Amino acid sequence: MKEHEDKYMTEHNDRQIREALKQSFPPVNTELRRDLWPDVLRRLDARQVGVPWYDWALVGLSAVMFLAFPRLVLVFAYHL
Amino acid sequence: MDLLQRFTHGEIDAFETLVRQFQGDIYAWTVRIVRDPGVAEDLTVETLWRVYRARYRFRPDGNFGAWARRIATNLAIDHLRRNRPEQSFAAEPAGGPCPDPLLQRETRERIRQAFRRLPAKLQVAATLALVEELPYDEIASALGTSVGAVKLRVFRAVRILRKRLSQAGIRPE
Repeated sequence: MKEHEDKYMTEHNDRQIREALKQSFPPVNTELRRDLWPDVLRRLDARQVGVPWYDWALVGLSAVMFLAFPRLVLVFAYHL
Repeated sequence: MDLLQRFTHGEIDAFETLVRQFQGDIYAWTVRIVRDPGVAEDLTVETLWRVYRARYRFRPDGNFGAWARRIATNLAIDHLRRNRPEQSFAAEPAGGPCPDPLLQRETRERIRQAFRRLPAKLQVAATLALVEELPYDEIASALGTSVGAVKLRVFRAVRILRKRLSQAGIRPE
């Protein structure tokens, strides 16, 4: 009997929480107010110009390797 | 060559057509989750940029809208995770349902605060299912999971929220 009552109370509370949530969050306007294409295009341009940091790291590492071991240039050229 | 094929080949005109066609849908979906128009606009732009960057992974016979919506959902979840309030709210003595509108407003604000402290994935599932009352299969598709998993997330969200509200002495009317 007690178990049944507890279950009923839990379900009742859950229903209250669901109802309270609906009341606590007013509906939002889902209409887009402006065209976002110019922003997307700007973002595309901005990201295309930038070179990722790992590319620069690779260039730096290669330069250091070639300066430290000049013969590596021959090995590298052979594999190219 | 059709529009989606041209998009996967990186044609900017095709992408522009898709943006104009789907930006409203992506925005509407995102704003339902984050509930802030400014943030939703920024996330929509970010979604569209990521869509373009991932165009090689999109199959031209697939559903572009559903794919974009899934990317938007993941970005919205990341946003909620980053902006999750840290502090807990102070407990107050428990009381019955109050007819005072000011107190009701305060109670709702505290429910919103408690809700925002839920894990992001639970928050998204509960917002879409309970606040927006969207069909579970639509939510499952956007979250990339099953209907059962969405129901479980909603159930867990309600249980955690009930426990936290009860600990803080808040009783929803």
